[in-house]
Amino acid sequence: MAPASRTLATDHELSDFLKSVERRAFKRTAFAVRDDEAALDIVQDSMIRLSEKYADRPAAELPLLFQRILSNATMDWFRRQRVRNAVVQNFSEFESEGDSGDFDLLETLQLAEDTIATESAADSVGRAQILLQIEHEVTQLPQRQREAFLLRYWEELDVAETAAVMGCSEGSVKTHCSRAVHALAKALRAKGITP
Amino acid sequence: MTGLRTSLHGVSTPAPHREALEARVALRIAGRLSQGAEALPHDIAERLRIARLHAVNRARELRKLSTAPGQHLQGGGVLAMSAPPSWWLRLASLAPLALLLVGLLMIQRTYLDQQIRAAAEIDEAILTDDLPPQAYSDPGFAEFLKSPRSVE
Repeated sequence: MAPASRTLATDHELSDFLKSVERRAFKRTAFAVRDDEAALDIVQDSMIRLSEKYADRPAAELPLLFQRILSNATMDWFRRQRVRNAVVQNFSEFESEGDSGDFDLLETLQLAEDTIATESAADSVGRAQILLQIEHEVTQLPQRQREAFLLRYWEELDVAETAAVMGCSEGSVKTHCSRAVHALAKALRAKGITP
Repeated sequence: MTGLRTSLHGVSTPAPHREALEARVALRIAGRLSQGAEALPHDIAERLRIARLHAVNRARELRKLSTAPGQHLQGGGVLAMSAPPSWWLRLASLAPLALLLVGLLMIQRTYLDQQIRAAAEIDEAILTDDLPPQAYSDPGFAEFLKSPRSVE
């Protein structure tokens, strides 16, 4: 009998896997392309590519393969858009060097925990609005930072896997993630939002 | 946690502690994002479901093709035979060509026989028919009669 890790993904496993990632994949793509229709097309294409080319792979390999396919499909979309519309996208690696060096991350965390502890029914009404603000701030991150942050902490890939999907070094992933977390925490605190 | 401060560039906090703090904040934000992902509009969720079903069906079709006897899938869906054909198979594939050649030869032979038979029938009809009297007034026929070949 073949080892479990080499067992090929069944239709059921493929379906379960896609079901588990499809919503996050859509949101992640929508954050990047800022167009729901385009994001749906990209996710659908990625699902088809995975099923056509990699359905004979073990189920354990599907997450990394899918994330890589999705990232490539998103990049392809940007390339096509750039050629078609000559629109300048925020693709650059411009990092804000002027981030305040004494920003207190721990204080943000402390505030967040206090907020949850004292949240009232009235507060929960504003949750949707807060969520929109958080999503907005995520879209404002530089593309590489956003990708590293979402892959690492939302898709829960480890640093090496994130680096493999992004095609960069593990050190770059750590740097991107760190900057993204600080930028998000700072932007949200400036709006009075505790994540 | 009182008084414990960290800076963006980790000047005042050890790296492991800073990373742990970052991870906690990041996971809280990711948790919020997950709430948003769960609350997708119905139409988008439905389109994602249909896309998923389509992808799974596609994988199922390709698996069936790849497991069909004597065939396997290569690259982008091109089907090819699994082993080179044997000598018998190659000889058998030449049989139709040989049959075609034999058929053509037989047709040619039959056509030639028909032509010869038709010419013989015409000659026979000419030679056995009565000669009309006007033929003797024809200079050409007169010349023909005088020629040594007609005498023979």
